[in-house]
Amino acid sequence: MSLFVRRQIPIVLVFVAALLVMADYFLGFRTTTGPIVTDLQNWGIILSAFALGFGAVNLFYLHTRHISRRTPGQWPFSIWILIMIVVFTIIGVATGPTGPQYSWLYNASYFALSATVYSSLGFYMTTGCYRALRARNAEAALLLVVGAIALLRNAPAVAVGVPIIIPMEAWLSSIPTTSAQRGIMIGAALGAIALGVRTMIGRETGFLGRLTEAERRGGT
Amino acid sequence: MLVAGRIFALGMLIALWIFIIGCMEMAKKKLPSFRKLAGLDALPEMAGRAAEMNRPIHFTTGLGELTGTVAPQLVAGLAVLGYVSELAAKYGVKVIYSVYQAQVMPIATELMREAYVRAGKPDAFNAEEQIRYLSGEQFAYATAVQGIAERERPAANIMIGPFYAESMMFSETFFRIGAIQLAGTARGYQIPFFAVVCDYLLIGEEIYAAGAYLSKDPIQAGSIQGQDIGKIIGWILMFIGVLATVAGTPIINDLLKM
Amino acid sequence: MSKEGAGFWRKLEDVPREILYTILLIVFIIPMLNPIGFPVPISDAVKKWYATIDALPAGSAIMIDFGYSGGGEPELGPLAAAVYHHIFRKGGLKPITMSTSIDGTLLWDKVIAEVNPEKYGRKYGVDYIHIGYISGTETAMAAVGKNLRATTSTDYHGASLDQFPIMQGIADASSFKLLICYTTGGDQSEGWVRQWYTPYKVPYLCAVIAMMVPTMLPYQKAGQIVSLLAGAQAGEMELLINVPGRGIKSADVITLTHILVFAFVVLGNIAYYGRKASERARGG
Repeated sequence: MSLFVRRQIPIVLVFVAALLVMADYFLGFRTTTGPIVTDLQNWGIILSAFALGFGAVNLFYLHTRHISRRTPGQWPFSIWILIMIVVFTIIGVATGPTGPQYSWLYNASYFALSATVYSSLGFYMTTGCYRALRARNAEAALLLVVGAIALLRNAPAVAVGVPIIIPMEAWLSSIPTTSAQRGIMIGAALGAIALGVRTMIGRETGFLGRLTEAERRGGT
Repeated sequence: MLVAGRIFALGMLIALWIFIIGCMEMAKKKLPSFRKLAGLDALPEMAGRAAEMNRPIHFTTGLGELTGTVAPQLVAGLAVLGYVSELAAKYGVKVIYSVYQAQVMPIATELMREAYVRAGKPDAFNAEEQIRYLSGEQFAYATAVQGIAERERPAANIMIGPFYAESMMFSETFFRIGAIQLAGTARGYQIPFFAVVCDYLLIGEEIYAAGAYLSKDPIQAGSIQGQDIGKIIGWILMFIGVLATVAGTPIINDLLKM
Repeated sequence: MSKEGAGFWRKLEDVPREILYTILLIVFIIPMLNPIGFPVPISDAVKKWYATIDALPAGSAIMIDFGYSGGGEPELGPLAAAVYHHIFRKGGLKPITMSTSIDGTLLWDKVIAEVNPEKYGRKYGVDYIHIGYISGTETAMAAVGKNLRATTSTDYHGASLDQFPIMQGIADASSFKLLICYTTGGDQSEGWVRQWYTPYKVPYLCAVIAMMVPTMLPYQKAGQIVSLLAGAQAGEMELLINVPGRGIKSADVITLTHILVFAFVVLGNIAYYGRKASERARGG
């Protein structure tokens, strides 16, 4: 396939699709652009669902490679993950994703593990707070004071016992925190707009799975 | 023709496009300069430390997809990966890149291969060993990265991209094994966790500047300059808006609602 | 001060994490097994959330997004259950649920089993429904807001939506009087602002995990979110609606663990300054 087909046509498609969606949002041609954009969005949903299946295929490919090569310290776990993929798939297809057997399997394995790992964050945060919230200098002291107020405000009984902490934490959240977050959000949004522009004009080709010539030449 | 309530937003969007494209073109003639970013300047130090300790560098661009809303952050992380790979290749240090999203793998492979070629060490690159697709599930990915930390004990950990709840897990685990850490994300939720644990931090749009800062790519650098013009416009509007509101006139509010 | 003194402060400054974790675990387990009953204040945000739902006229459709993953269930599940208790007890409302998280349907099953709508006389398809997981996050939100029936024509069991009385007259975002989102991901919580509040001005109640609250505050301060709650406030909601559950049980744990972490922080600072003082004394 020629470079033109592989590179230019996807860029043109992205440009046209982006323009249509923006025209639908900003311009009043709903009767014309509305149905087209609805279809585009539904295609997007179908493609993202397809990506889930692609992820499963990828996992199969990678782990069968580990098994065939007997990768040290890895291949027994690869066998296990493939067994679990098969078990979940068979039960899911046979009983439906909302069937009692699938629900039991999900709750007994994935949900329990997921909640456990998520909960371990509490322990990491404890050691993080213990080590980091020390008044080594003025900035660290400020971090300590603000952190302590937030910590105590979020303890319900302390908020009842020391009511002054509620307006203090409310001020900290409303004024300095919100202001800082707004700045970060504006920066992130401008970054997204810039990436959108670069993608539409073909200067950003990461989504095509390849680097631009400039990126190839880039480095120190 | 224009939908009421979205006219100003459309005008701003078009203006930003013009600024960004204009700056990208101007950057081809003269590259804009950036202020010092301590975290990025420390990358050679991190690679040197890894070389002395004969331990690898771990790199991750976090969660997120190339087609999602956090794609700009992922792209920024990949730009830094290219630089770190070339640096590591020169120092003779292995880079382990932990991958969450399978679609990133071909780009990362090409990026790292090109970096090793530029460093003059194409044979040192082993894609299968260095680029590891771990899982598309958040906590499976997170625990796999922690496993890499415990088993391979990297001397340096670089995390640039969109991170979610796993940020604290990574930071603490790599801190515990004694790795020096650079982290950067534009996801405001996770910045505090990186801030308290990591040695170097890039906040918000600094990660977008990182790619341009390191690669000297005129497209990326011009794009950053265009974004900065957008921020200046935002600041001017905010300043005038505060004055107008204090003076009792809703002119800026009305303009924003147009 | 002696060398042993400095060593003591250094040890206190670097308490091994195993000891910290063990103490934390003990403090966590005891109130779970023997609830203490610490007081719990009901914040203005919780009251506003409650009042917003209470003010809805009969027949109002509510879009609820179960956008959280299994890891967030212990925090957001109790709040989701409490809100369902409120909605079902009030009656006359049409909670229509979808999931932008792949775990959402199974987590919804869990919450509904806990709430038991039948005890309020509520029937699936008549008084509540789940229209399934729709992939694509913001694309899904935009598509559902534009044309729900074109995006999905079945409920999460695969039955046609046309057969359910609750879905009569539901076409797009303008059919809904309220949007509620429970999520552990910023993509969902922020995405609903962009895809439903901004174009359609649907009032939006958002519940996230506690660490996401500061980042979502700008939206709430700008009026784009009516009320923003952390999942940890489930106990306050349960108290307000007078249906105690998992949330109020967790409130004791939250209080004690937060006080413990504060105590660790104080200890660390005392140890730090103690070590510095002893080093100065040795040096001086």
